[in-house]
Amino acid sequence: MHDMSRLTTGISGLDQILAGGFIAGASYIIQGQPGAGKTILSNQIAFSHLRDGGKVLYVTLLAESHERLFQALDVLDFFDRSKLGNDITYVSVFQTLRDEGLDAVVKLLRRETKRQGATLLVFDGLLNARDRAETDFDVKTFVAEIQGQAAFVGCSVLFLTSSSVKEISPEHTMVDGVVELTDTLAGVRSVRQIQIRKSRGSKAIGGLHEFEISDGGITVYPRLEALADPAIAALEPATGRVGSGLAELDALLGGGIPRGSVTLIAGPTGGGKTTLGLHFLSQSSADEPGLHFGFFETPHRLYAKARSLGIALPASGSPELTLHWTSLSDNILDKLGDQLLGQVQKLGIKRLFIDGFGGFERAAHHRPRLIEFFASLVDRLRALSVTTLATWEIRELVGTDVTAPARDLSAILDNMILLRQVEEDHRLVRSISVQKVRDGNFDSAAHLIEFAEGGLAIGASLHHELASPSVDPIDG
Amino acid sequence: MALILVADDEYFLAVMLADMLEDEGHEVQTAPNGQAALALMREARPALLITDFMMPIMTGLELAEAMHADAALADIPIILVSGAQGGIAREKPELFQAVFDKPYQRDGLLAEVERMLNGKG
Repeated sequence: MHDMSRLTTGISGLDQILAGGFIAGASYIIQGQPGAGKTILSNQIAFSHLRDGGKVLYVTLLAESHERLFQALDVLDFFDRSKLGNDITYVSVFQTLRDEGLDAVVKLLRRETKRQGATLLVFDGLLNARDRAETDFDVKTFVAEIQGQAAFVGCSVLFLTSSSVKEISPEHTMVDGVVELTDTLAGVRSVRQIQIRKSRGSKAIGGLHEFEISDGGITVYPRLEALADPAIAALEPATGRVGSGLAELDALLGGGIPRGSVTLIAGPTGGGKTTLGLHFLSQSSADEPGLHFGFFETPHRLYAKARSLGIALPASGSPELTLHWTSLSDNILDKLGDQLLGQVQKLGIKRLFIDGFGGFERAAHHRPRLIEFFASLVDRLRALSVTTLATWEIRELVGTDVTAPARDLSAILDNMILLRQVEEDHRLVRSISVQKVRDGNFDSAAHLIEFAEGGLAIGASLHHELASPSVDPIDG
Repeated sequence: MALILVADDEYFLAVMLADMLEDEGHEVQTAPNGQAALALMREARPALLITDFMMPIMTGLELAEAMHADAALADIPIILVSGAQGGIAREKPELFQAVFDKPYQRDGLLAEVERMLNGKG
């Protein structure tokens, strides 16, 4: 249902955090340092508004020429030169402001809004208007007059400013909402974030949300844990078990992996985590499509690995198995979550192998939120009845001092499988043990594993106990 | 030397063009929109109008149409400089004697100005 009282931004993530978009006829400040993305954001909203049948008046006060602006926008997909001068008009009021002052600008904009039949007014350069005002009262009057006359004809207003408008600033008190864009450094990488600082009459999702600028314009990725998902509360837990691809492991688990559960496979590098995942994915079928969501092996290398182990995967490109590879370079945590859930929903995935959670951890520049993020991700996967295996790499290559990763992370996962490597008589011995199975009995004894023809071979139970304090994967 | 009127809401572009034309020995007036340009040319008739398309209050196209409908102004030659509406203007040769797309080359525009002022337009 289309809500007539909303002006959607056309940026789905932004509409989400604005609880449906801007309020039509209301006015907003969009603030941020030069280069933060204000101009791209407002033009993207403007062109989306044109597609919705609206008309836009874009007013500048700045010295940058409109042609320079158009050249910068030309590389972006949403920009359409054929709309210029017809549905969207760019005018400069610099001279009017300089020669005649704020009152004359207000008057000119009233006439232009009416003449163009504008339903969205973008005013780029509130800071310059501020410079021209003699008192705070003048600024307040200016903003009040612009938004008052716009609201009178049902026109929404975006005021762009590169100054940081404080909560006590007169402009701040006048407008219905404030959107702030920031571009900061987290270590050596640049992080773009958007925040709804004020949102009158609308329940916006607060806090910082990351966004990126690409050829498609701005994409906003709301914090996953901040988004409500009504499907989760209504969830009926899936029942039954699914095969892991290894009969011996199914036996240890007490009859396979609980359907719709999330299993963590913890272990050192080379311990067999990915191989276990390949066994699991080898059981993908038309009824249970599989997805490999990984950060390490490219699809090409995964197939090569499966071939060398003698594990038969469904053919590359078949609807039964999809391999989604993301490199470890500058990722956005919520973008990864969005891509993962998007693929699962689009392809109706029932068997998911995430290799591994470490790829998400590395993307998080604010690590304290990881547990909440994973909890939210896991809840959504359960709600979609996806049986999930996810890997967690333990630092120690060889050792006995490992059982469960962080208690916080363990608590949100249903099942846990631990892979270990110990040295005995100068020989590396690998083992597997089930640490936890949701609502089920399982065999907790550690068993020997070996890489053999056809993949992993699970052997006899180990006779001796291995000492095992826990390791924290988030802080460890 | 001739009187040339420049209409452009983008102040710095208008001033830059005016400076260029003054360097060539012309007298130049500027207007921030079509209506202001119309008022100026009724006071002092220019030999040539150089106008932008997208302007507040009255666009370059509306200005050209108003001049076309006014016998006293109809024969003033017009050069349109535009970022995006060059195509619309080129379909109306009866209104615009020349069309330049922004960003234009200084020398090309100045040559066209001289050509028109010397009556070869």
